[in-house]
Amino acid sequence: MAPALATGWWGPFTQLDDVVVTHVDLVPNETNEQEAWTWLDGEERRRACRFQHNGAKRRYVLCRASLRSLLCGALSCRNHQLALGSSEHGKPFAAVDRLQAPIAFNVSHSGQHGLIALAPRGRVGVDVEERAAQRNLDVLIDAVLSPRERADVMAASGRQKLDVFLDLWTLKEALSKAHGLGLSLDVSSFEIPPDIRNGTRSGMFRMPGMPEVAWRLTNIGTDRFAAAVAHDEEGL
Amino acid sequence: MASTEERIRALVDANLNIEGRSEGQPLTPDLNIIDAGVSSTDVVAFWRLVCEEFGIDISAEEFAELLTPSDLIAYLDAHSG
Repeated sequence: MAPALATGWWGPFTQLDDVVVTHVDLVPNETNEQEAWTWLDGEERRRACRFQHNGAKRRYVLCRASLRSLLCGALSCRNHQLALGSSEHGKPFAAVDRLQAPIAFNVSHSGQHGLIALAPRGRVGVDVEERAAQRNLDVLIDAVLSPRERADVMAASGRQKLDVFLDLWTLKEALSKAHGLGLSLDVSSFEIPPDIRNGTRSGMFRMPGMPEVAWRLTNIGTDRFAAAVAHDEEGL
Repeated sequence: MASTEERIRALVDANLNIEGRSEGQPLTPDLNIIDAGVSSTDVVAFWRLVCEEFGIDISAEEFAELLTPSDLIAYLDAHSG
């Protein structure tokens, strides 16, 4: 049986077909952070030590250890057999005994919330943003949204304007991360489908220039945070 | 005229929360701003504000490789008038 951490600072959040999403509690907790540290390998500990301040280090350590525990459970392996790597643009992958494992995963965190998405096949991306004020909201609206998306945000008022923006942002970031390009993809170059913009929680999306790939795009946000998952259904 | 480093520091002071750094402090040259706890939304806004400040068009793909002050300043010194 695969090992699990004795105490968990994470728990089930939602399941979308065979994509399992876990919530990670990133509130400062010395006991959790000490236990999480024991799960990291040497390279991960060196990376953690490069963080100059505690907040970023804590988020990395807690997310990484919970990811390791979840992957060990999903892949029926032990922690020392598991290695995590990433592509040129940061797209992560797992290997067990040096063989790439048949699982897709993605991690996102914002403030006190982390989300981890695991999928047995295809590609998956997840993004979370705390519903906190953005000091450059107008700059962001101009930078990342299409004209019609901008119109949707501008039609909202007060607090709702921020919420509409963050919903669109996390949907786009989830797609970007699933695609494997992260920050290097200009997310203003594509538009979230109207049904999802109008409140449908889940729908299909095909990226311009890549019509052969159908992405399942789902808004999984709550009143505490905006969040979204993108998963390509290849092989489903 | 202000140096590139001074102009970037002013943009950072006004727009980014770098954990443990107070306004006006020198920038750590090789500190990746994502590792410093800057959110992805703030990174994207910063990208656009840098483009505006220096009158230059940096693609998202290029900016993703310019996340330390030293890399960004070197790029701007090489590409902006």
